[in-house]
Amino acid sequence: MSLNPTATSRIRATKLLHTAHGPRELDISFQWDRGRLLAVYGPSGAGKTTLLRMLAGLTEPDSGYIEVEGEVWLDSSRRINLPTRRRSIGFVFQDFALFPNLTVRQQLEYALPDPRKPAIIKELLAFMELEALQHHRPGLLSGGQQQRVALARAIARGPRLLLLDEPLSALDDDMRHRLQEYIQTAHRHYGLTTMLVSHHLPEVFRLADEAIFLEKGRIVGQGDPAAVFAERPLSYRPGSVDMTGEILNITADGEQLAVTILVRGAGNDRTIELEAAGSVAAGWRVGQTITITITPKIS
Amino acid sequence: MRTAIGQLFLTMLFPLLSPTGGQSSGLPAGQRTTVTVAAAADLKFAMDSLAADFGKKNPGIDIKLIYGSSGNFFQQIGNGAPFDLFFSADMDYPRQLQARGLTASVIRIYGTGQLVLWSRSFDPDIRKMDGLLDASVKKIAIANPAHAPYGRRAEEALRYFKLYDRVRDKLVLGENIAQTAQYAQSGAADVAIIALSLAVSPAMQRSGGKYWLIPPASHQTIEQGFVLLPHGKGNNGADRFMQYLSTPEAGAILKSFGFGRT
Amino acid sequence: MIDWQPIWLSMQLAGITTLILVVIAIPVGYWLAHSRRRWKTAVEALLSLPMVLPPTVLGFYLLLAFSPTGGFGRFIDQYLGLRLVFTFPGLVVASLIYSLPFMLNPVIAGFTSLSPDLRAASRTLGKSDITTLLRILLPNIRPSLVTGVVLSFAHTIGEFGVVMMIGGSIPGQTRVASVAIYDEVQSIHYSLANRYALTLLLISFVILLIAYGTNHHFNQRKTLL
Repeated sequence: MSLNPTATSRIRATKLLHTAHGPRELDISFQWDRGRLLAVYGPSGAGKTTLLRMLAGLTEPDSGYIEVEGEVWLDSSRRINLPTRRRSIGFVFQDFALFPNLTVRQQLEYALPDPRKPAIIKELLAFMELEALQHHRPGLLSGGQQQRVALARAIARGPRLLLLDEPLSALDDDMRHRLQEYIQTAHRHYGLTTMLVSHHLPEVFRLADEAIFLEKGRIVGQGDPAAVFAERPLSYRPGSVDMTGEILNITADGEQLAVTILVRGAGNDRTIELEAAGSVAAGWRVGQTITITITPKIS
Repeated sequence: MRTAIGQLFLTMLFPLLSPTGGQSSGLPAGQRTTVTVAAAADLKFAMDSLAADFGKKNPGIDIKLIYGSSGNFFQQIGNGAPFDLFFSADMDYPRQLQARGLTASVIRIYGTGQLVLWSRSFDPDIRKMDGLLDASVKKIAIANPAHAPYGRRAEEALRYFKLYDRVRDKLVLGENIAQTAQYAQSGAADVAIIALSLAVSPAMQRSGGKYWLIPPASHQTIEQGFVLLPHGKGNNGADRFMQYLSTPEAGAILKSFGFGRT
Repeated sequence: MIDWQPIWLSMQLAGITTLILVVIAIPVGYWLAHSRRRWKTAVEALLSLPMVLPPTVLGFYLLLAFSPTGGFGRFIDQYLGLRLVFTFPGLVVASLIYSLPFMLNPVIAGFTSLSPDLRAASRTLGKSDITTLLRILLPNIRPSLVTGVVLSFAHTIGEFGVVMMIGGSIPGQTRVASVAIYDEVQSIHYSLANRYALTLLLISFVILLIAYGTNHHFNQRKTLL
């Protein structure tokens, strides 16, 4: 979308947060490339939403620097702080923040930076399958429909950076899967750079090119989702343990299949990488629940 | 719809925008003159008749009448109220205005008021002031002595008859003498000490009460004066109204409402 | 015969006061609803004071302030040619102060009841605060605005104590309907007082009817469409 030659963007920010667990220092620094779909993952209170709001200019860091595709949005050392409305972003809020007084179509028209070019509205309505609802106000739309409107509205303004703050947390699994597809297709179709906050690992694996793992205000891992979460050690005690997991990812490696499995613990989700023979894992599918049994070796 | 609202808006703003804001003197339209008269409440019915009679003879002059207690008007005039003429229920307030340079003519007496005992619960002609001590008399209305001259005279009369301390708990105070009369007329008070000029009014007559003239020796005389105020200076209509008051017709009207000539 | 002037005067006073209050209450309410300054509580309390204050207290201080014998009154009299005691503009100024909380409080409540994300969302769509206010916030607090308009209009019509103290019951200028009723009762013109009172009652009822009808319609439309 953008003709800006600089394809790399970066943020560095610190901020003292007042969380339910007391004050906590958020201190993050990372960069990303244009066109990527990044998932920001972490337990609640890790600072995921704050990170997104800082990018949007809705929350001001105590100090920091934000540069998006060559444009400086924030530089606290030079007292630069571009107001939200001047930052090229699309933001999908957790509660969608649809305007109760506007119809679906009007929401998109409102978002349009140039009202003389309404073509994208028609296209977006078709793309998000909202044509039948375009003259409705948000009051009677279902959660999934509202989410699509919010997504369409954020895209309508043609942003450099699309920010999604746990947009799927309020939806049931079925709806969640369908909307993940909307997000993924929209991301590709409109050539967006997307950052998605999630605390749902399957979502991260399904959608993200790259994961950012946030814990207690610090980045503890960034990169390919499988790699980021595989590095996390899984603790278990000797004895036979049964663990239930969900298959997140399957990649072929010759005869062998590399399978990434999410294992749920009490607030402590982990992934395990397995190598399985093609013959064994031939029927396995992403999203399937499997049981892993760990037995200590007797020597 | 939109233009209608706009018009409404403009119409409503008009009094704000118009420089005179409908002020009392020198309205340009036609040759009409308005005279704003602040009159003591005992004049209520008498002044209505005077203004009506004057209006017939001077069709170009509007008399705007405002009634209240003399003390209240005194305060308002001191604070810049736009009255042209002030008719007090005594001589005191006009004199105080004069002393403060807030008058534009000499003070003239237009009549002497009389105090009456008005009652529906007993015949005041027979019982006279003693009737106030009746057990059936629960409330006695007088005007507020703090700012109504008739109230002050009523209090003097009660003291003269050595009744004040005995009936003090029954006293209700009207804001001015007209409200005092209304208290009695409506039955809110059983008895009232009011101005004769109100007692003879048709409304009070109709309500079935009787009155008795309280002897003038029991209180200071109620000489009532009027004066032109600085706001009325140069107001032709105010001058005409003042002239009218010394005509026999005006005198007859005042007399019919019980005002004595001095 | 009923003299329509006091009623018309009451309507003018209430209409002008309400219009000006709308213009004042929207920015002030917006600021009070969104500011995080510590002294805004003091401002809020101060602006709500007329709601609990006896009208005579307000009337007394306004009389002192507006009187041409005092400093402020003399200043506006001499330099602006505006006299605020016993004049219609004076009643407007007094009514603005007197009825302000009745407009302001519903507007503040309306703004605070909206999700802060609405404002944030509009900003992320590149809109200025003014556009956000006009296109998003105000349409969504319309019931609060209607409530404020109705309350301040009705409250101004019902105003008596302040008008008595700084108005002086001058026909065509400050003799509004509530004062006219008081005057007619004193003159024992009960039938006339009754007609004024009934007219006021009817007008007030119709205003409330329109207001509630509009809000009802608004609420229905919001959910049905």
